Amino acid sequence: MERHDAIVIGAGLNGLVAAAYLAQAGLDVLVLDRGTAPGGLASEHEIAPGYRLPRFTLGSGGLPPRIVSDLGLADHGLRFIRAEGGVTCFPDGRYHASYRDGVVYRREISRFSRVDADAFTRYRRDMLRAVRRLAPLLARPAHSGARGLFGRLRAQLAHADLIAAMSPDDMRDVLRLWTLPASDFLDTYFEDDFVKAHLAAAAMIGGTLGPCTPTSAARLVLPWLAETGDASGGAPETLMPAGGTSALVQALVSAVGAAGGVLRMEAEVTDVRIRDGKVKGIVLANGEEIEARAVLSGLDVKRSFLSLFQWKDLPEGLVERVGRVRMKGVAAKVNLALDAAPVFPGLPEGCPSIGGGLRLAGTIPAMERAFADWRERMPPRDPLIDVLIPSLLDPSLAPEGGHVLSALVHYVPEELHDGPWTGERRDALGDLVMTRLAEISPGIAEHVIAIEILLPDDVENEIGLTSGDLSHGETTLDQFFANRPFPGAGGAETPLKNFYLCSPSAHPGPLVMGGAGANAASTLLAAMGKRGRA
Amino acid sequence: MTPDTAHPAGDEASAIDLDDERAKVDPALFEADPAEPPFARSVLTTPLHLVTSAESRTNRWIRWNGYTVPEVLTDLGDEYRALRGTAILADHSPLVKTRISGREAFDYLQRLVARDLSLLDVHSSVHVIFCESGGRVLGDGLLFRLGNEEYRLVTEESHLAWMAESAEGFRVRVEDVSASIAMLSLQGPLSASCLAEAGLEGIEKLAAFGALWGHIGGMPLYVSRTGATGDLGYELWTDAEDAPHVWRRLMERGASLGLRPAGFALRELARLEAGLPRAGQDYLSAFAAVSAADAVTPFELWSAPPLATEKPVFNGGRALRRLAGERPFRRLVLLRAESFEPASLSTVLCGGRSVGAVTTAGFSPALGANIALALVESASLEGNLSVTACRREGLSSREALLPVRILPAPAWNSARRVAIPAPLGL
Repeated sequence: MERHDAIVIGAGLNGLVAAAYLAQAGLDVLVLDRGTAPGGLASEHEIAPGYRLPRFTLGSGGLPPRIVSDLGLADHGLRFIRAEGGVTCFPDGRYHASYRDGVVYRREISRFSRVDADAFTRYRRDMLRAVRRLAPLLARPAHSGARGLFGRLRAQLAHADLIAAMSPDDMRDVLRLWTLPASDFLDTYFEDDFVKAHLAAAAMIGGTLGPCTPTSAARLVLPWLAETGDASGGAPETLMPAGGTSALVQALVSAVGAAGGVLRMEAEVTDVRIRDGKVKGIVLANGEEIEARAVLSGLDVKRSFLSLFQWKDLPEGLVERVGRVRMKGVAAKVNLALDAAPVFPGLPEGCPSIGGGLRLAGTIPAMERAFADWRERMPPRDPLIDVLIPSLLDPSLAPEGGHVLSALVHYVPEELHDGPWTGERRDALGDLVMTRLAEISPGIAEHVIAIEILLPDDVENEIGLTSGDLSHGETTLDQFFANRPFPGAGGAETPLKNFYLCSPSAHPGPLVMGGAGANAASTLLAAMGKRGRA
Repeated sequence: MTPDTAHPAGDEASAIDLDDERAKVDPALFEADPAEPPFARSVLTTPLHLVTSAESRTNRWIRWNGYTVPEVLTDLGDEYRALRGTAILADHSPLVKTRISGREAFDYLQRLVARDLSLLDVHSSVHVIFCESGGRVLGDGLLFRLGNEEYRLVTEESHLAWMAESAEGFRVRVEDVSASIAMLSLQGPLSASCLAEAGLEGIEKLAAFGALWGHIGGMPLYVSRTGATGDLGYELWTDAEDAPHVWRRLMERGASLGLRPAGFALRELARLEAGLPRAGQDYLSAFAAVSAADAVTPFELWSAPPLATEKPVFNGGRALRRLAGERPFRRLVLLRAESFEPASLSTVLCGGRSVGAVTTAGFSPALGANIALALVESASLEGNLSVTACRREGLSSREALLPVRILPAPAWNSARRVAIPAPLGL
C-alpha cells in the first residue's frame, strides 16, 4: 500500500503552505485535491476568454513576509503589488480615499474635517499598538504544542507573562477594542460621519458583525495587520499578488514540488481511516487507500470532522461540539469582464487609490441596516459592496484594453427568510450590484461581456466550504485564539491523534493568509520532534 | 528632497512678477487648493518658494510638515558663518500656527499648558509644553499673546484634535491658521541691525520673547524676538501674500551687513548647538508614539521644564506633580564626541550596554566636534559613555566606538540673546 509521512487534504492556500513547510523539513508529503486545478478558495478562473479573476474571493491580501521568506517563494516567482488602501464611494457622490503618505492622507481627511485629520495620528497609533499586541499571538500556534505537565505549565506561564507585562492603560485599551462596537470606538476619535464610515467599511468586510454591533471594534484592526508602523503616518496599503491569485497558488505548488512534495488532482478523499483511536490514512473516492503518519485537513472544521469520518469512530462529544461551531455565509461574489476601462467621473482623474479597491458604502447607520437585513435573512437592499479591479494595476489579467472586476457583496444571507434563493432573486441581486456600480461608473453595463453571481450556497456546492463562509467559521472572540475552532481544541491539533487542521477554521483563522497552514506544519513537526523551519 | 517641485509648473506661478510690489502670491501655493485632489502634489510649497528657489544654488529641498523648504541654499559652512557672524534669513512658514480666541481663552490655555500664564503680557511670548493625562509630552511650542483675548500657539506638529477636545466647556475658538501666516526667521548677531536697516524703528528696545507690530516696505508684520539658535534673533510673521516682498526687502537692505539666506539644515544645526529638542525628531508626541516607551515626560526632555505644578488644574497636572518628585528614567542630554571628522552617531553605550539613542547629531563648528542630543538612561549618566559611529571609507563602512562626554551647557548660548538694548552692529 502507498505510504507517506503526511497527507494534506485540499490544495488550497493553507494546504499548500503546510505541505511546503513539511516537504522542506524533509517529510514525504502528498497533497490531494478533488478539483482539476489547485487553489481551492483562492482558485482563479476565466470568466471570458483571457479574462482571469479569483472565482470566490476578492484576491487582495498578501502572505506574511515570514512565510514568503521561509518557503523561498520569491524564488518561485511570487511578487506582490503594493497599492493604496482604496476609495469609499458614498451614495451622495462623495468619496474618501486612503493614501499611504501621511501628509497626503492628512489633506484627504481635512476635506471632511481638520480636527479628524489630526485625530488620525492617535487612531493610527492605537491601531498599530493593537497590531503589535496581536501580531505575536497570530504568528504562532495558539497552543505551543508543548506536551507533558511541565511543558504545558511553562507555556501557560509564558502567556501569563504577556498579560502581566500590560499596564492598566494597555488593559483598558485592549478591553475597549475587544468589546465596543466599531461605531462607538470610532466616535472616541473622529467627528465626521464619512471619515468614520470609510474606516468602518474597510473593517466590516467579511465579518458577521455590523458596525454598531458590540465587539465589532476589534475588526478595525484588520486593515492594519500587515503594517509595520513606519514613519509615513498614512493609511494602510492593499497588497495583491502580481499575476493574480493563480500566481500565488503556482508559486506554492512550485515550492511544494521543488521540496519533493507530490500534488495529485482529481483525487477526492472520502474517508479518513482510524485504528486504535489514531488516524492511519485516507481512502479516495475510487476506493484506493493511502497510509500516512499524519493527515492534515485543509477543509473547514465541519467538513473535516463531519464528512471525512464515520461519526461512530469519533470521540464522545466531538460531533456535537463541531456542530455548534458557527459558520455563516455572509457574502456573495459578482464577477465581471469588461471590454473597456471603467470610468469614474465622481473620482478625481488619476486617483492612485482606485487600484486598491472601491467600496460602495453608506454611512455607519446604513451599514448597520444592511447588517440587520442579513440577520433577518432579507434579500439585501443596500449592501456593502467591496470592488477590486485588479487589472488596473496588473494588465496581465485581461486582454489588452479589457478589465476584470471582482465585487464582494456583503451581508448576503445564505438562505432567505421565506425560502431559498430563486433565480429571480439572484438576478435581482445582480441588477442591484450593477445599479450601484453604474452610480459611480455610468455606462459600465454597456461594457460588460460576462457576468456571474455566486451566492454563499454556490460556494458551498462548488468547493465544499460549509455555508459558503469565507472565514471558515465566525471570527468573534469566542471562536478565536485558543477557542478556534472550538474550545478545548484550539489550534491545529485535534482530539484525534495524527489528525491536524490546516484550514482557517484553526488559529489564526482568516486574519493571516497562510497562517493556519504554517501553524499546522509547525505543530506537526514539533509533535514529530523534527526541527523544521516552520 | 523633491527637486521636481522646485520649479512649479503652470501659468499662474510663472506669472508672478517678483519685481512688482503689488504682485499677489497664488494662495494655492501655501494652502491646498480645494479643487486639487490631495494626491496631485504630495508636498505643497510655501509662499516663499519662488524667492528661495531663486536663491538656491544647490537645488536641495527637504520635506517639512508637507511643504518643501530649502535644505541648503548655498553651502552649509557659509550659511553657518553668516548665522554666527552676521545674520541669516530662512523660511519657517511650515510651522503649525493655531489661533485661540474668545472670552475664556486665558482660562482654556491655563488648563491646556503646563506653565503658569498669568504673567504673560500682550505682545509677548513664552515657551510652553503640554502633556496628556499621563504626564507624557504631546508637544511644545511658543505661545504668543496677541491681545487680551487672542493667542497664537506655534508648534512643530498639529495638535488641533486634542486642542479642540480640550476646549469643550470653554467659550473659546480654536482654529488652524497655519496657511494664512508666513514666517521668516531672521537670526544672528546683526539681525537687529538688519531690521533697523530695513526701516523697523525701535527694534533694539524689544526684549527677548517680546513682540511688536511694525512695517517693512509698507507691509505690516508682527516681529517677535524669538528663535532657536542660542543667539539674537527675530521671527517675522506676515500675511502669506506679503512674505516674498518682505524677504526681498530684507535681503536688499541686509546685503551690506552680510545677511545671507539659509535652509533647514542650518536650522537643525543651530538648534542642536543651542541644545533644544524638536518634536518628531528628539521626542515623539505621546499621541504618535506607537511604542509607549517612546513617549517621554517633560522631566526627561528638559532640565527645568516650563511647568507650574502649583497650578490647581491643568492637563496632565496630577501625573506631573507625581513625576516631579521622581528621578526621570531617561534624560535628553547634549553629548560631545571626541572625534575630529564628521561621523554619523547612533547608539549610546555604557560599559558595553546600550543605554540610549542619539536623536539628533551634527558637527558643531563652534566646538569643532561632533555633538549630539541623545536620550540616555539616568542611571548611566555618571558612567563612562560611548557612542557608536559609522564612517564610510570608499566602499566600506567602518564602525567605531567614540568616547563621549555630557556637555554641561549648550554649545552656543550668547548673552546677546537676551541683551537689552539688542546690539546694533557688532
